[in-house]
Amino acid sequence: MQEEISRAGVGRRGLLLSGMALALNPADVWAQVAEGAPLPDRHRTLIVRVCDLVIPDTDTPGAVKAGVPAFLALAIGHGISGSNAPFAAALFTGGKAPADAGILDWLSFELDLKAGRAFLSAPPDMQVRVLTDLDSQAYTRGNEKSPWRTLKGLIVTGYYTSEIGASQELRFELVPGRFDPDIPVGPKDRAWSNDWTAVEFG
Amino acid sequence: MSKDFDAIVVGSGITGGWAAKELTEKGLKVLMVERGRHIEHGTDYVTEMKSPWEMPFRGVGDPQLYASDFAVQSKNRHFTEYTQNHFVNDRENPYSVAEGTEFNWWRSYQLGGRSLTWGRQSYRMSDHDFGANKQDGHGVDWPIRYADLKPWYDHVERFIGVSGQNEGLSSLPDGIYQPPMALNVLEKHAKAAIEAKWPDRRLTIGRTANLTQEKEGRSACQNRMICQRGCSYGAYFSTQSSTLPAAQATGNLTLITDTVVETVDYDAKTKRANGVSVLNVKTGERRRYTARIIFMNAGAFNTNHILLRSRSAAFANGLGNSSGRLGTHIMDHASTVGAIALFDSFQDRATFGNRPTGIIIPRFRNLGDQTEGDFVRGYSFQGGALRSAWTRGKREPGIGAGFKENLRNVGPWRMVLVTFAESLPRETNRLRLDPAKVDAFGAPLLQVDFTHGENERKALTDAGKEASAMLTAAGGKVIMSLNRPGVGGSAIHEMGGAMMGHDPRTSVTNRWNQLHDVPNVFVTDGAAMASSACQNPSLTYMALTARACDTAVKLLKEGRI
Repeated sequence: MQEEISRAGVGRRGLLLSGMALALNPADVWAQVAEGAPLPDRHRTLIVRVCDLVIPDTDTPGAVKAGVPAFLALAIGHGISGSNAPFAAALFTGGKAPADAGILDWLSFELDLKAGRAFLSAPPDMQVRVLTDLDSQAYTRGNEKSPWRTLKGLIVTGYYTSEIGASQELRFELVPGRFDPDIPVGPKDRAWSNDWTAVEFG
Repeated sequence: MSKDFDAIVVGSGITGGWAAKELTEKGLKVLMVERGRHIEHGTDYVTEMKSPWEMPFRGVGDPQLYASDFAVQSKNRHFTEYTQNHFVNDRENPYSVAEGTEFNWWRSYQLGGRSLTWGRQSYRMSDHDFGANKQDGHGVDWPIRYADLKPWYDHVERFIGVSGQNEGLSSLPDGIYQPPMALNVLEKHAKAAIEAKWPDRRLTIGRTANLTQEKEGRSACQNRMICQRGCSYGAYFSTQSSTLPAAQATGNLTLITDTVVETVDYDAKTKRANGVSVLNVKTGERRRYTARIIFMNAGAFNTNHILLRSRSAAFANGLGNSSGRLGTHIMDHASTVGAIALFDSFQDRATFGNRPTGIIIPRFRNLGDQTEGDFVRGYSFQGGALRSAWTRGKREPGIGAGFKENLRNVGPWRMVLVTFAESLPRETNRLRLDPAKVDAFGAPLLQVDFTHGENERKALTDAGKEASAMLTAAGGKVIMSLNRPGVGGSAIHEMGGAMMGHDPRTSVTNRWNQLHDVPNVFVTDGAAMASSACQNPSLTYMALTARACDTAVKLLKEGRI
């Protein structure tokens, strides 16, 4: 995965915010960024943690075991869903960003800002709260352009198109062999991951 | 003078395959010329059995590759990582558009052409359609009516296999169908609700060239809904599954691929075409083939392109263009989302398997003497009902175990109606040779000059209202309704340019699809269309082709061409 991330060019910069005080404002964060040295592995670590928070292991393996971090790195490197498009500074809280900031810089920045400290070193329950807060905000009206929607979309795609997500968490049958137009379905029935029309229009 | 072949068929797609089959079965020695690569049925469908996790980009594809090589093709919803090898490379195959216009030209240059990637919806045109130009004065009168084509629709449907339901509607003539695919539980409910409120409207299963019964070595549909990857079961109609094996079985077919027809060659002494000049796109070698008749089946716009660049002293503006109308009156369908609605009902019911067709609500506007709305002609809806899949997770808030558990179940029902409105034939919508730009081999590019008109916009506006009303009547909550057409070409029903007509001064082809000016050249793909109707047109192209082949062989035998 490291190789893929490196190829994708997403490991180049990171934001160093460890050991910071709570209640940061954007200016504080950028001050830290300016002082901090980039950490090559930071985005990798962040991707893994965020994938795990979005789709954790339950009675089936979650996003990390399904290899979603590697897919996410590949997707961002190649710009799936516009994820490597030039990044508007206005998308950052406070409206400022380094010239070459990417979508993962944004994520790191916003999570650190919300956590009031380095998100990755925050306790797990705080990480859940912070990411839930970011997620809720991104899905309110007016935030349709939130970069989080792009990232979560890629995580969802990565998981449900993986063998684990498509065929263990959900059901997968490439050759159904028949069409049943009306069958009972209950809360314990898993959906079919390859209902292609529903995947496209649903 | 002896000729290399009795007939040359230019193109191997939906109509080229039909021309090859019909002509070889009638005993002619036929050369079929395909510009793209060879694709062997079954063995060359390399992505057919792939699961998403076996694809480098999970089926989504590589946006960098798409930006550089597939800038237009990748806008098509049928274009995916699984199907990208069945679409043309835009960088290598450029075209131009007139200033201030846009046109998305979706193409498949390969053996089988777009028969491998088509939507398979198979509808007859009616006398409402064949009579429309005469009735309202747009375009020129079709020189044929439904009765002329009916036996050939029968002939084509019998051979290709179409599943569907006869409904007895004047706007969508019945056909010869295999048993219909089933409406799902919500579609059945919507059908009852809509037909109760509007007795003149009908919701019926899409008539599709997917088999529901085994047929001549072809299997019944496996309900995979991944047709465009190629189907080794042969369960949908394509050149490879259907017409090509029939043509090859005669021993009368010679097939060459990677060979583009540059011009149809004209003999001023005999006033006939005598062959084609071709270019092997792999080797760069040029040569000529001669034949007694030529069938133009390159795909509507490419047929126009070849004729436009087939210039001679007798036809300085393109072969068969004494009228000056070659390339004019091109059409598509004006298409957009009529309405999407969510439903609370039937939450304990679902479907299994992937049905490779949707539903259709055939045209109900402006039939007969009644005029409804402020537009002429009509539209129809295609779509269907489905339960949302995991992709809804992209647009819903939530993270963690609860989010995952929610996506484990099937999502809510939704129903979609997509509008297809008739595109009026207009002289200003046209093709021409680009005055400046050329392709890698020095040939002038085809320039497309097309815009949808006010009639199309009015029809889509009416359609949006009616789609919303019907889904509401069925108990749905409408969440989206659009009424602006997509960019020209978006329906992938581009057609016209060599329209059929009675009069050589105002049309390009006659009632038998012969060029008025050069009677041994037959144009039987979408180029010959004089109006677009609002139905998916491929079945009509096939019927016109089979009919023209019958005529061509009779005329040949009588020594009249």
